[in-house]
Amino acid sequence: MGAATDRMILLLAVVAGLLFGLARAWYGGRPLRSPDLRTAWLVPIAFLPQWLAFYLPVTRRLVADNLAAASMVSSQALLLVFAWRNRHQPGFWSLGLGLALNLLVITLNGGLMPISPETTTRLFPGISPDTWEVGDRLRWNVVLPDAETRLWWLSDRLLTPAWFPYRHALSIGDVLIAGGAFWLLWALGGDKATNIQEKKGV
Amino acid sequence: MKREIRNLSLILEQLDRRHVRLGLAVLTLALFVLGAGAPMDGGGY
Repeated sequence: MGAATDRMILLLAVVAGLLFGLARAWYGGRPLRSPDLRTAWLVPIAFLPQWLAFYLPVTRRLVADNLAAASMVSSQALLLVFAWRNRHQPGFWSLGLGLALNLLVITLNGGLMPISPETTTRLFPGISPDTWEVGDRLRWNVVLPDAETRLWWLSDRLLTPAWFPYRHALSIGDVLIAGGAFWLLWALGGDKATNIQEKKGV
Repeated sequence: MKREIRNLSLILEQLDRRHVRLGLAVLTLALFVLGAGAPMDGGGY
């Protein structure tokens, strides 16, 4: 599994949103605005447990599965508070809904994101399907068949198209998060009046 | 001349502050996205 690229597909949405937002601002002859984010300090604090449990090599080896699961749930719960506090910003309803759906399916399935053996086999076609056993932990995923997964349709089951350079399995929540990040940065390239209209869906 | 330099420094200060705020906001968003999402990567296996 590519440790560095797991969540990079979501960062692509941030980079793409930034580029499109800059282009929009440049086209309109205005600077790219900065969003007025509330309680932004909460985000690094919320991310810290995940960083220790899943990223930092020294600590992630020491963290047991149940502690890793607890860090995932607590971290995402704090991020949900941040999303709620910023719901007035464009794109944050999509970011918050995506996060809430991920948190829901993760919490209902023991604290890690479920992925079916079928999806895992499609994701790693070079590896024998017999390799995957129910309950195997793959970073923040856990291999679970659909029949044993609560709300299986919210799990990682959407595969990126074959032409995409990296093969990823995404959840509906991941797609909403990527869309929300793009939307927010795109909106920063517009003027304030347009953003208010976009936010109201006019 | 003094006034022009002062105006220029004020503009630069504002520009820097705006860039720093934008950079922090993008960094916050990137961290949020990393923490909120849970995709699985098969690319480098």
